[in-house]
Amino acid sequence: MNIKDLSDEILFTPGHTACAGCGAPPIVRNIMKIFGKDTIIYTPANCLLVFGGTYPYLAWKVPYFHEAFENTGACISGVARALRKQGKKTLVVGIAGDGGTYDIGIQALSGAAERNEDVIYICYDNEAYMNTGIQRSGSTPYGAATTTTPAGTKIPGKLDHKKDMAEIMRAHEVPYVATMSIAHQRDFLEKAKKARDVEGFRYLHIISPCPTGWRFDPSLTIEMSRKAVDSGMWTLFEAEYGEITNIYKPKKKIPVKEYLMGQGRFRHFTPEMVEELQRWVDHKWKRIYGEEP
Amino acid sequence: MYEIRFHGRGGQGGKMAAEAYALAAFLEGNYAVSFPFFGAERRGAPVKAFTRVDDKKIRIKTQVYEPDYVVVLDETLIETQDVLEGLKKDGTVIINTQRKPEEVRLSKPVKCATVDATGIALEVLGRPITNTAILGALARATGRVKIESVEQAIMEKFGARLGRESGEKNARAARMAYEQTLVGTSQGGKEFVPRPQWLPDVHEMPIGGAIGTMKTEAGLIGIGSFVENKTGDWRTFIPAIDKEKCIGCRFCWFYCPEGCISMVEGKAEVNYDYCKGCGICAHECPAKAIEMTREVKA
Repeated sequence: MNIKDLSDEILFTPGHTACAGCGAPPIVRNIMKIFGKDTIIYTPANCLLVFGGTYPYLAWKVPYFHEAFENTGACISGVARALRKQGKKTLVVGIAGDGGTYDIGIQALSGAAERNEDVIYICYDNEAYMNTGIQRSGSTPYGAATTTTPAGTKIPGKLDHKKDMAEIMRAHEVPYVATMSIAHQRDFLEKAKKARDVEGFRYLHIISPCPTGWRFDPSLTIEMSRKAVDSGMWTLFEAEYGEITNIYKPKKKIPVKEYLMGQGRFRHFTPEMVEELQRWVDHKWKRIYGEEP
Repeated sequence: MYEIRFHGRGGQGGKMAAEAYALAAFLEGNYAVSFPFFGAERRGAPVKAFTRVDDKKIRIKTQVYEPDYVVVLDETLIETQDVLEGLKKDGTVIINTQRKPEEVRLSKPVKCATVDATGIALEVLGRPITNTAILGALARATGRVKIESVEQAIMEKFGARLGRESGEKNARAARMAYEQTLVGTSQGGKEFVPRPQWLPDVHEMPIGGAIGTMKTEAGLIGIGSFVENKTGDWRTFIPAIDKEKCIGCRFCWFYCPEGCISMVEGKAEVNYDYCKGCGICAHECPAKAIEMTREVKA
């Protein structure tokens, strides 16, 4: 599948109030072109909730609900079961940020996955609580400066590494898990299509660079997605019932330093910190790709 | 006591400007407070911030409703709202614009100072962040604080956060603005019609607040209604597509965060009603057919 095969119909309209250069709107607009009109969207608290609608105004052109932060998994489970009981095949999609997935929503998400509910859960990952003003989440990478992990003279940003949420979801052995990047168009569209067509629990995890929180020029959002993949900070794979079935390997691996440069949240990095993050990336690389980087 | 209201857009640094001004006044031995007002706004949406200065302790904690001075960091804001609302009789408005005070049209003629803070910021800082430059204009127009105090406050406030070099650059932006500020009188007579709101009574309110698409006096509401929210005035830079060079690859159409690029006869076309000027289209265009330039606002 190619971007030329996508329809012109827009189900997430312009006029939304995301920051200029936000990574999330192109993700949801294009994914909705694949999912189509017969879709119901649930979102907990996140940026997308706020910029996608301020009651009574709304950018979505499909049924849309706002639920509490911690229960995306539970809400989509209930709605999907009610619809299936009525014999309807409507896609039920929950879209949460990394805070609503890694931290606050993980119990309801894990439960829904365990029960293999017939839903799609999307985590758009901008690596911090951007909606409330850039607080660290379980997804924030090592060393990144956020308002709750500021880079000071004693503590240089976040001390812990990013949690591997996609691997946690893979361990649930659900029908479909995929990690995605909008910069990899064909891969992105194929995975969205597959998620639409598979039955049972599907988990999509998409990197969503944030010019405001990561502090880079808004024109570089797509470039950041691309560099995240090329450096190994972000890995693209598909898994079915717990088995990895497809891996995208960058043609040329770039040093993690090239990804860090140009992002204000890593500006304070010392050579030792770069090395620590590179070590983490190389370890992950070996685990996913099964070879030395 | 005197009060200042700052009008800006999220990310332009209205809050930091209000804080830095308060610090400058404090350095001269005054009492000063500042605070921002915002809801769930993103970068680019209109926001406000306030500063109060007095020679004794300040007990009042409300927003500023009757300012002595109004500072406008983004001139597109004077088109959509009456920034003079509540301004005291002899008050002054300070506007970031390339225009002269006499060329600015507001709801009434008032003392008006103008400076091209965006131009100065682009020249000195390389980014359209205008909050420090505008403080130079504020010092010049009001004469309430010395430019040296403004420079010192900026060095302390911005230097601590962004490093010494950045602090110095921002102080230089303020000094340049101080020197280039024009003071005069604005034109009046511009009328503002407040945007009507959808205020249903208890019988009209749908169960659970659930609404489909509905046409109301406040315009379209419900599903898909954000199309009536024109975000084009958020931008500083504007893309221009060279149709000769466009190869119709659809990359910009795919990546545009606003979804405001459409394909017309195989070529990309921008709907400027929504374009926020992020520049992703220009950066991703494989044919280099899109160019970003600073938009000249009429």
